[in-house]
Amino acid sequence: MRKNGLLLCMSVLLILACVTQVFAAGADKKDAATGAAGKTLTVWVYDNGRIDVLTEIGKQFQKKYGIPVQVSLVDLGQIRTQFLLASGGAECADLAIIPHDNLGALVENAAVLPINLGAKKKNYLAPAIEGFMYNGKLYGVPLAVENIGFFRNTDLVPKAPATWDEMVAIGTDLVKKGKCEVIMGFPDATYNSYPFFTSFGGNIFGKNADGSLSPDKIEIANAGMVQGLELMTSLVKKGLVPNAIDWDAAHVLFESGKAPFIMTGPWALNRFKTAGVHYAITPFPAAKKGGKPGAPFLGVQGMIISASSKQALLAQAFAVEVIATEASMQAIYKAEQRPSAWKSISASVKDADSTGFAAAGVNAVPMPSIPAMGYVWDSWVSAAALSFSGKKTPQDALLNAKTQIETQIKAKK
Amino acid sequence: MNRFLRLFYVGVFVFLGSFLMFRLIRDGFYPLAVFVGACVVFGTLVFLRKALTPYRWMAVGIALAVLFTIYPIVYTVFLSFTNMSGGHLLTKQQAIQRILEQKYIPEDAITYSWSAYKNPAGEYLLLVFDADGNGFVARPGKALEPKGPLEEPPAELDGYAMIDMVEAVQRIDEIGKIEFGAAPEALTIQSLGEAAVSKPAFAYDEKTDTFSDVVSGTTYRVNRGTYVSDAGEGLSPGFMVNIGLGNYTRFLGNDGYRKPILEIILWNIAFAFFSVLFSFALGLTIAIAFENLPGKRVIRSLLIIPYPIPVLVSIMVWRALLNERMGLVTSGLSSLFGSSPHFFTEVGWTRFAIVLINVYLSYPYFYILSSGALKSIPKELYEAADIDGAGPLVTLRSITLPMLLRILGPLLIASFSFNFNNFTLVWGFNAGLPAMADTIVPMGHSDLLISFIYRLGFNTANAADYGFSAAITVMLFILVSLMVFFQTINTRAMKETA
Repeated sequence: MRKNGLLLCMSVLLILACVTQVFAAGADKKDAATGAAGKTLTVWVYDNGRIDVLTEIGKQFQKKYGIPVQVSLVDLGQIRTQFLLASGGAECADLAIIPHDNLGALVENAAVLPINLGAKKKNYLAPAIEGFMYNGKLYGVPLAVENIGFFRNTDLVPKAPATWDEMVAIGTDLVKKGKCEVIMGFPDATYNSYPFFTSFGGNIFGKNADGSLSPDKIEIANAGMVQGLELMTSLVKKGLVPNAIDWDAAHVLFESGKAPFIMTGPWALNRFKTAGVHYAITPFPAAKKGGKPGAPFLGVQGMIISASSKQALLAQAFAVEVIATEASMQAIYKAEQRPSAWKSISASVKDADSTGFAAAGVNAVPMPSIPAMGYVWDSWVSAAALSFSGKKTPQDALLNAKTQIETQIKAKK
Repeated sequence: MNRFLRLFYVGVFVFLGSFLMFRLIRDGFYPLAVFVGACVVFGTLVFLRKALTPYRWMAVGIALAVLFTIYPIVYTVFLSFTNMSGGHLLTKQQAIQRILEQKYIPEDAITYSWSAYKNPAGEYLLLVFDADGNGFVARPGKALEPKGPLEEPPAELDGYAMIDMVEAVQRIDEIGKIEFGAAPEALTIQSLGEAAVSKPAFAYDEKTDTFSDVVSGTTYRVNRGTYVSDAGEGLSPGFMVNIGLGNYTRFLGNDGYRKPILEIILWNIAFAFFSVLFSFALGLTIAIAFENLPGKRVIRSLLIIPYPIPVLVSIMVWRALLNERMGLVTSGLSSLFGSSPHFFTEVGWTRFAIVLINVYLSYPYFYILSSGALKSIPKELYEAADIDGAGPLVTLRSITLPMLLRILGPLLIASFSFNFNNFTLVWGFNAGLPAMADTIVPMGHSDLLISFIYRLGFNTANAADYGFSAAITVMLFILVSLMVFFQTINTRAMKETA
């Protein structure tokens, strides 16, 4: 008797569980069909500073169209995974903000939808749009851009050097006089040192005929990259730059006036201000007089639409008609204080730090967003380390890096 | 009463478990669903069968161990036989569906601006305008009707009322699903401002399992989880397939991996061994030295301080101390001797520093253990040894160590296994650098196997290669298991002889 009751109880519960599921699934379907009342747009942001402003913009959207916009903070790695796996049933937002270098993997997995910005494209900085282009299509509404700048200690160096040679001369002089210990510390030998390489014509990936980057054309060992690494290595060998790459130590050297120069990004401003060091941000030096100044990487942050969104057109309407407007872009700029990707806002900014970064980033190149870039960083780090320690010549070190990258790309194919 | 309460709880448990299971099945996580199901069945049986009563105390623990230890191991082994990686994350069905969803707009196609109209029956039609302002009425399934140049869209059209902007936005996805116009040239809404003819870019043939490009006619065939054309162009996304031992042969069959990995393995074993040896030796020495001294409590409290400080913080402090230019240790050494070791750029010194930091981090643990264990050694043994005329070294070797090892042996093995995978220390100190020269993937001289795997599998961000990393992890798992197994046998032998 007792056992039967038990069985009965269990079966009832099992059936109940099933029914709940069916019911829930039914409710999902209903949502999609009932129009305004049942709809919500969800937006994921990975940066705390953007939640309030986007929520505010969302409220205006709701007032006008009756569709609430829910903005939530989600870790960037999580955004990436959920977008990639979304059609595997994972929960996913309709829209998300990402740094553009994550775009390639998302496009290659068909996890994002192209966006048609139409005539609004021309309101944006060209490199910002370029950052969100992939295989000739635009996949994001750019919001902010970010690049590193060339910092100098204005107490020690009144006038910005125009070439690396000038920089080395000024620095060597200061070291000899005992005013400084080194010329600069490299926060890293890759991202923050990229202008060294680009000023000589360095590049990471070559381009296909249609202008997209090709993982089969690895240029990390081209003449410009080698010359850049040779310059950096010679500075290290002469003791003008610390041998060990240490992010913090490089910043401390600059803050404490022990190094007159540093190449770093907006994230270092706070600590420099706290330390009370007098600095100015200028374009990077060039390889030779009258040459092109070194170009940093450009990071673009923008809004993308999930390919698994059940309301993709609505999401696109939100991104294009609401976000890509001067008013919203202005509000976003005010809230996050990152250089805006919107041309007129970017041009209207007057404070010295922002104009300095903008000037340093005039020729910035969007960081490659093809997935193969993931293989580049560690090999690049190794190449620099091998070259600095003298175990390999700069050229051999970079050729080694090239082989490593090729091997990994090939292994995956 | 009690019984009913229990039934009620078990019912709630089964209900929640089944709910979770159904969700997992719905979302396609079948293996995990099976494991959750097994746990639910196990839990139910344990609480309802008299014979299994003793298991009640352990049921939760066993279920958690299955879900969080056994399942990940099984899943890693499963992954190691697949090509799962960036670009190969989806199942075949999902990938096919995503490729089919890709649309293209023919190059000569006209894009129209549109206004939508709705009749009381809830049917829609579009009034579309080309760039010259010519209007067309587009109804589902019928060819476009030219309306001639129109200034403004009328408020009403053939009994259909125009929907305003607000409603258009609200219903855009509903309207977007409708094809307006006759079949091959049907219009769909592309955005709030545009409607255009858009067609699927690829057609799928189920019989031959191939895709063909609608425009160029190129055929794409399945090859290791990607549809590839004869020219080698792949369609994205790819999908996850079983590639058998592919990942294992890729690793074992390649000199480029094998040789440097041998160095990593040797260093890995040496690192774990010396870390345990030195920190145990130091901890034990302090424990013996201070056993009978006054002020022992104060010293003990002081020595334990490094223990509760988060490891990452300690590592950062050590990084700063050993910094090659500004570090306290290095600048002190160079002012004394004129030069100081390069703790970050020279292989030997980097390894030395890592072991040093590890000893600093773990000797308090061994100090606490040893000072406790020392008390359990009968004093009579020492008295007897004293009478027999044994010196302190002899008593240490023949009494203290054997007695201690009996107690601490298993802990030493556990500590060895932990250090074998001490990712935090190695990655936090120098990220595995200095770099090895001439390797086919980036490797560092201070890399442990685990940090090497991490770099390969996860530090490549979007190019992550999970299948391959899983294969190396499985091999590492086997290696560590074997070592622990033999050590355990040794310890047992030691215990029996002792």
